[in-house]
Amino acid sequence: MNVRALAAAVLAIAAFATAPVYAKDQLHLYNWNNYIAPETIKRFEGVCQCEVVQTYYSDNEELLAKLAAGAKGYDVLVPTSNAVQALIRGGQLKPLDKTAIPNIKNVNPAYLNTPFDPGNQYSVPYAMSTTILGYNDEKMKELGLPTDTWAVIFDPKYLEKVKGRVTVLDSANELFAAALKYLGYSANDVDPKHWDEAAAAIRKAKPYWAAFNASSYIKELTVGNIWLVHGYSNDIFQANLDAQAAGRKFHILQGVPKEGAVLAVDNMVIHKAAPRPDLALRFINFMLDGRNSAELTNLIGSGNPNLDAMKYIKPELTKLPAVFPPKDLQAKLEQLKDLTVTQRRLRNKLWTEIKASK
Amino acid sequence: MAAKGVSGTRMAKWLVSGPPLLYLLVFFAAPALIMVLASVRSPGEFGGLAPLVDESGRLDLNTESYVRLFTESVYLQVFVKSAWYALLTTLACLALAYPLATLIAKSPKKHRDLLLLLVILPFWSNFLIRIYAWMIILGPNAALARMVNGVLAWFGAGPVPLLFSAFAVLTCLVYVHLPFMVLPLYANLEKHDQALLDAAQDLGANAWHRFWRITFPLSLPGVYAGSALVFIPALGIFAIPDILGGPDDTLIGNLIKQQFLETRDWPFGSVLSIMLTVAALLLAGIAAWVGRRGAAGAARA
Amino acid sequence: MRRRSSWLWVAALAAYAFLYVPLIIVVVYSFNDSRLNAEWVGFTLDWYRKLAANDDMLAAAGNSLLIAFTASLVSTVLGTMAGVALHRYRLRLLPILVLAPIAIPEILMGVSLLIFFVLLNFTLGLVSVALAHIAFCIGFVAIVVRARLAGMDESLTEAARDCGATPARAFRHVTLPLIMPGVVAGALMAFTLSIDDFVITFFTAGAGTVTLPLLIYSMIKISVTPEVNAVSTLLMLLTLLLIVVAAKLSPTLLRSDRET
Repeated sequence: MNVRALAAAVLAIAAFATAPVYAKDQLHLYNWNNYIAPETIKRFEGVCQCEVVQTYYSDNEELLAKLAAGAKGYDVLVPTSNAVQALIRGGQLKPLDKTAIPNIKNVNPAYLNTPFDPGNQYSVPYAMSTTILGYNDEKMKELGLPTDTWAVIFDPKYLEKVKGRVTVLDSANELFAAALKYLGYSANDVDPKHWDEAAAAIRKAKPYWAAFNASSYIKELTVGNIWLVHGYSNDIFQANLDAQAAGRKFHILQGVPKEGAVLAVDNMVIHKAAPRPDLALRFINFMLDGRNSAELTNLIGSGNPNLDAMKYIKPELTKLPAVFPPKDLQAKLEQLKDLTVTQRRLRNKLWTEIKASK
Repeated sequence: MAAKGVSGTRMAKWLVSGPPLLYLLVFFAAPALIMVLASVRSPGEFGGLAPLVDESGRLDLNTESYVRLFTESVYLQVFVKSAWYALLTTLACLALAYPLATLIAKSPKKHRDLLLLLVILPFWSNFLIRIYAWMIILGPNAALARMVNGVLAWFGAGPVPLLFSAFAVLTCLVYVHLPFMVLPLYANLEKHDQALLDAAQDLGANAWHRFWRITFPLSLPGVYAGSALVFIPALGIFAIPDILGGPDDTLIGNLIKQQFLETRDWPFGSVLSIMLTVAALLLAGIAAWVGRRGAAGAARA
Repeated sequence: MRRRSSWLWVAALAAYAFLYVPLIIVVVYSFNDSRLNAEWVGFTLDWYRKLAANDDMLAAAGNSLLIAFTASLVSTVLGTMAGVALHRYRLRLLPILVLAPIAIPEILMGVSLLIFFVLLNFTLGLVSVALAHIAFCIGFVAIVVRARLAGMDESLTEAARDCGATPARAFRHVTLPLIMPGVVAGALMAFTLSIDDFVITFFTAGAGTVTLPLLIYSMIKISVTPEVNAVSTLLMLLTLLLIVVAAKLSPTLLRSDRET
């Protein structure tokens, strides 16, 4: 009797919970977590008199897998350029109505009209980060190690001094890109011979690395367990803030390798089955306004392709080369291109062999 | 009476097995078949699966992915390693869970439910947070690591990393799966008749004998159930090696995840998954068969 | 009453300690005055304050609880039926269908369920997640119930039948009380699996559905702040409270010491 009553109650609540709410206009934003400032969302909700419903992913590939399986209901997505490429080619995006997003004029032309999306038919740049080195300045000085070259995580003569205190990203794309840059090739090089060389370089360095880690390395850097990482500029920036907040004597600094690095530009796009493309366009235009765009940069130290935003950004951030790369560095930064099926399979085979080898 | 009994039994059989069977057919078998079919299709150029019928109107089916599995030995290598880790995890869970389940089963009745709840309570906090707690416990500057390395230093051995190692992975695997061994064992041990053991003691059997000859054989169904509920999921786990593992700790679960995500090779991911599932079911089947023979043997004894 | 051997106590207590040391860290660190879950800095209640204001996280926790209660209820019922059926009858399909969801990698199940729901044009949301959770929880319950039934004395049930009880009454008044510890154990497992599931939930969730694991895992790359420790601590306590209350309200249902 009690069981039946309980069951009935649960089902009733479930029915209520799943009933669609028609009361308010809703914009469904599918984004990285902590990739938009809460104040910005509130301001937009005030401007559009609508509700922004956010759901999150933590990897482009998760987004791609979910959309490839047919998920719907999202308005705005925020994929990185290579994922944008895959989405465009896969016919998953709605073209942008340029007349509805006049603020696009605020964007730095260097980041517009990319090979991924000529003419910006489907995407506009949102924020950027670079994949670089992060290090504990005290330790690196003590050990006399360079911090401006990929060699410090690939060359055994440097690695010996930091054995077990280095982590690299758990991403085949990122690590191969770093290895290719180290060897002097382009990060987008697809020559299988060069890939073999890169794989060999990685395997040579692997015994010195503590882990392949994409998530907890910030923590370990801040606490001082790990001294050198291959990571994202936003994360390293955050690690330093955390270290200072915890009263540590060392700093976590960003090291931009002279061989160059990967630049990741995240873009705002509209899904082809978006329920509210009108709200989506308003949102995109809103985020292209300098003041709104700057709030994210000030929050997490992300790079910003919006020229109008520069005047709202904290001055100490504009001086960081990993966040706002100067011209000479810009030439060496590359955005990753999406690979073909055959290339992906080859890379996965090499990656598996690397991971399974002793 | 006999006729009624037979048709009554048939109807009862369908009434009892029908609903779960139906549910699983709809919400498990049908989706799973979609992915089994995917194992003979080609990956989509940009992700997902290639269309079933290609441009020339032919059905695009092939066994490429199966061939790859058997020609590139690295995948089987990783599978063997995963099976090994899963086995170690199961044995360790059994060793830890048995005393715990016994204690709960022997406790006064009014305490049992509470003790059981206490076993599972930690697992209602978030998985990630518990793993992070282990990172704190196993960190190089934490008490445990310093103690272990201190002892090693006495023997002249170098310091050993506790974190980002196979040890960390195994410890967490055991930690995460422990309740799934405790609960089935408890459910079985709870019904053991203490009178049987008391009688044996009166007849002169010592504690070890009582355990090995009476308690353990009677608890075998619980042992097998717990082992299945630990070994099989442990085979496919990926989050723990991802977060705590060293550079060498890649398990088959990680590989499968990679196929669906970074490599976007769903057919191959499907093949690896099918192989994993079939292997798990086979092992479970063998264990059950051995268990039935063992139970028959115990019954005869 | 024989004296219980002391090694049993020691071993069991060691197991409890193993279970609880990480949990104690989780709870203690929810008061940690540092954004990171890495080392103790100082005491603060800030994270609990932040949590109280964090509507998203509270809504996610609520969703998780709702799905977990629903899924564990349905899967316990279906799983108990499956466990009894597996024990009593020689079945060929059900054993495989019950074990396979446990064996199949979650990511495969998640993607395939998503494709399945899309094919059926079923709107994703809390219901799709619950349906998915039930599918993989049934197996766990069935296996525990079957283990409980194994070797059990069917003569009691037969005696009840001989006295004229219908199969339903025999089940409810004889079999069910005898297998209740197994059912309870299975229900606890199902609840635990559901409340912490990430992969399958990620793929079957709708565009506005956020459960606690989804929210927390998405924070994995930035930093999982002690707010998560706070919500975990509160969730545990809340669940414990709900279960204790439910047990007090239905004492005849859950007690495993029932006289038959």
